[in-house]
Amino acid sequence: MYKVVIGLEVHCELETKAKNFSSAPNTFSQIPNENVAPVDLGLPGILPVPNKEACRKALLTAQALNCTNPDEVLFDRKNYFYADLPKGYQITQVTKPMGINGYLDIMVDGKIKRVDIHQLHLEEDTASLEHHPKYSLIDYNRSGIPLIEIVTEPCIESADEAVTFLEDLRDVFLYLGVSEAKSNYGQMRCDVNISLMEEGSDKLGTKVEMKNINAFNNVRAAIEYEIKRQSELLERGEKIVQETRRIAEDGKTYSMREKVDAVDYKYFVEPNIPPVSLSKEYLDELRSTLPELKLSRYLKYTQLGISSEDSATLSKERSISDYFEEVLSYGSDVELSVNFVITAILSTLNKLEISLNDLFITPKMLSGVVDLVSKGDISLDHGKKILYKAIDEKMDPVELIEKEGLHQINDEGELLKLITEIMDENGEIVRQYVEDGNMSAINFFIGQTMKRSNRQANPNKSKEIIISELERRKNNAGK
Amino acid sequence: MYRGKSILELRESLDNGNVTSEELFGSANKLAHYFQEDYNSFVTIIDKCKVKRSNSLISGIPYALKDNFSTTGILTTGSSNILKDYVPVYDATVYKKLKRAGGVLVGKTVLDELAMGGTGTTGHTGIVRNPWDKERQIGGSSAGSAASVALGIVPFSIGSDTGDSVRKPASFGGIVGFKPTYGLISRYGMFAFASSLDHVATLTRNVRDAAIVTDILKGQDPKDMVTLKDDGKKYVDTLDNDIKGRKLFYIKEICDLDLYKDSGDSELIEVLEKFHELLDKCREMGFVVEEVSVDKDLFNAIYPTYMCISCAEATSNNANLTGIQFGPRGEGNSIEEIMFDARTKGFSELIKRRFILGSYILQKENQEKLFLNACRVRHMIVDKITELFKEYDGMILPASGGIAPKFDEKDEKLSDRYLLLENHLAIGNFGGFPSITLPFAFVSDMPVGINITGGVKCDDIVLNMAERIEELTGYKDIYAKVGDIDV
Amino acid sequence: MIEKEKLRDYAHKLMFDMNDSEYETLQEEFDIILKQMNLIEKIPNISDVSPMTFPFPNNDVSLREDEIGDYLTVSEVLENAKHQVNDQVRVPKVVDEDV
Repeated sequence: MYKVVIGLEVHCELETKAKNFSSAPNTFSQIPNENVAPVDLGLPGILPVPNKEACRKALLTAQALNCTNPDEVLFDRKNYFYADLPKGYQITQVTKPMGINGYLDIMVDGKIKRVDIHQLHLEEDTASLEHHPKYSLIDYNRSGIPLIEIVTEPCIESADEAVTFLEDLRDVFLYLGVSEAKSNYGQMRCDVNISLMEEGSDKLGTKVEMKNINAFNNVRAAIEYEIKRQSELLERGEKIVQETRRIAEDGKTYSMREKVDAVDYKYFVEPNIPPVSLSKEYLDELRSTLPELKLSRYLKYTQLGISSEDSATLSKERSISDYFEEVLSYGSDVELSVNFVITAILSTLNKLEISLNDLFITPKMLSGVVDLVSKGDISLDHGKKILYKAIDEKMDPVELIEKEGLHQINDEGELLKLITEIMDENGEIVRQYVEDGNMSAINFFIGQTMKRSNRQANPNKSKEIIISELERRKNNAGK
Repeated sequence: MYRGKSILELRESLDNGNVTSEELFGSANKLAHYFQEDYNSFVTIIDKCKVKRSNSLISGIPYALKDNFSTTGILTTGSSNILKDYVPVYDATVYKKLKRAGGVLVGKTVLDELAMGGTGTTGHTGIVRNPWDKERQIGGSSAGSAASVALGIVPFSIGSDTGDSVRKPASFGGIVGFKPTYGLISRYGMFAFASSLDHVATLTRNVRDAAIVTDILKGQDPKDMVTLKDDGKKYVDTLDNDIKGRKLFYIKEICDLDLYKDSGDSELIEVLEKFHELLDKCREMGFVVEEVSVDKDLFNAIYPTYMCISCAEATSNNANLTGIQFGPRGEGNSIEEIMFDARTKGFSELIKRRFILGSYILQKENQEKLFLNACRVRHMIVDKITELFKEYDGMILPASGGIAPKFDEKDEKLSDRYLLLENHLAIGNFGGFPSITLPFAFVSDMPVGINITGGVKCDDIVLNMAERIEELTGYKDIYAKVGDIDV
Repeated sequence: MIEKEKLRDYAHKLMFDMNDSEYETLQEEFDIILKQMNLIEKIPNISDVSPMTFPFPNNDVSLREDEIGDYLTVSEVLENAKHQVNDQVRVPKVVDEDV
């Protein structure tokens, strides 16, 4: 058996208004070369000036990944020639990355796995190339878009761990609002380094590199394929070649080229960007804006007694989790709140294809309904019915109840009056109970009571009254 | 009639209505064409007058711009084949400011290819000749900018200075070259040679004009992060300040006559004698002038340090020149082949040698010993000079040990004797110090310049001292009165 | 002396070539500079000094606000590109997709 050793390098474009080193727009465009400043084109005489917001987002992400921030913002140049790199160098960070020595805890098979982060740095994206049969075309729109790269330590041991890490990392980006991280737009991409080592050995195997994988299921496929391929080679006593491979549509990986001697990128400090110091106050203030992240919220929910499935659903997206927690913050019943958020709110969002922002019902309004249910003033069913109506009519559900008199009927006299009426109209059913002992009559009358009361009758109270009224009639019949 | 006139003289003529800016442009344009064949100052001479009036002192006044400043719609070659057809689509900040002030561009001047070199002989359109003697170099890299001012074509021109590229040709051309504090003037749009050493600098025929132009160009630019916050000063206003008690020093290891006694270089001896005569006059005027001694081994390292840092930065800065998004397209069947072909054909030998040197210096295995050690030496030299500037207002030194060399003269810059004498101007670039060169003597009928360098952000003091020393030299507003033309 | 073949390899990595005599000149130049740099290493206490990248410390620097400013039109972007197709810069087919 072999132990799998995987390291990931994840690139993610940051969401900003302007590019990282120029003030051209950072927006995805179908029109080629539409969002390009002289800086992005590498014209002679250009100078880069870093984007404050990109720096802030990179620093914040580093904090979320438990990294140590540097004492100043500093950039370096990575020198190489390529068609998609108009300046002939990429501005990146080597000397002082935005974060070093961090980690992200993930949950795999119900256990917590700590993925160590080597570093997070801020750089710029390259231009994009479009390949045609006889030529390639360069579009500079992407050139200069702020990009963070997160490099893990080689501590990931399976495709499951790798994919969970990537999904959780994307959720971190979304939680922080630093990127939309859409892998289908290439906003989030991943390089995978994988090697196998003999179980019990401490000698690392030969590393194979797979570059620029967009979709997470391709990461899984590539890793699984490589584990199989490399295991088979090793079992046959063959050597693993140190190389770069790519994943093809058939889910297999193919060799692109063997690793020749490492490229020397001749890094040096970017001389046009003087260091900008980062005060402890600034970094502390930034840290104070960090939201509680997914895993921590998940664990908190399970401790509240919420099922792991529901906890996962509630913590998956920050907006939902925040919504849910705000409902709880008003002191509402946990179980009912979970029930309302998951079955009523989330399903409504899905059905209407809207986001939480577009929903009229605030957490405060929802908590009002939840409280009525938990006090027994209205039934769960009734509460949800009111909620849907409130969503439709864009009204506070509690106000809706008042306005339309949708209160639950709890008054025993009123209920008895209604039930007596119904029973009088349905003498045959009463007879079946009284004479034949047919218990299903109870349910029949509950149904009728709910129907006739517009579902406003308190079901529990109604049931009690129905049973006692039927018993009363039975006793009377016997006399 | 207007040849060789200073900015203030032309201003007066314009304000009096004796001449129009169109006429001034016409005159400069004629001069530019007239001297082009013999001296080759320009890559492009502009034939259409575009005047935008303002209330600036330079409104309506012609000037020349080094051909490594980005000018929208005007060919900008960096005097290199690799950019021989490049027409920029954006303006350098300096060009924008001059346009806004109403300066009238007469032409884009020849430089040493991509500003690398100090001879004025490596531009892709041929060598630039010294107006005082056609058989001699004007020096570089701002060769055409210096020649156009020394010929009296324009009252001022703009150059770039990475080691001495404005101040050396100013010395050889008998004019004033001023490189202000690093970050005082935006570099945006100036083709980068070595970013941490690159400065925008002016060439004029007197110190006052240098102050006038610098006042217009300076200021923080959001497009150049190293630019300084505005100091709120107008340098022209303090030019006449009293200098009594201002302290200058010169470096013994550069200026001591004893060092060169047995050199047999009579021109050098004469330069130094006249230098010491000037120092005496300075003392008479009220300056305190003192000799200081420095660690010769450290200061001898100026040249290799300069080469290491500038070549390293240059090889990276010029990696954008591949013929893909601009410049002549190379031939080939792959992207590598077309880049390779464009760069092989586009760069001349000197440039290529410097790029290789620079890339060697940056290689992983050499970086510590070569690049970082050079950066350490830079630090030590700058610390030493900065320390001296705590006590002194300026450093005064001959800009060069001799007059402009002939084209066939062997370059002796690297021999031990001249290593410091011919390369000390780079100190101004290492530390970003304001530094000015002005003519102070004639030797063998050729002008020689003196250099005054001061503390960071003390541009006003440097200009003030230079203005007063200019009074002592008697070489204010000189130009080479060659050619039989009166316009 | 540094080998000519090595220099040629460096040149090729910088995407250009030179002729033989040019490499020979370069060899000599390397010789001089490297000798001078060897002297630098002998400067006392050099290793105690931090490498200087910027001429002097500048506390005025600030990052750019995240706002859209000037940028080029498509035709300006392409103005100097010799080969174009569909408003993009055309180059020979790139085979190896990644560096």
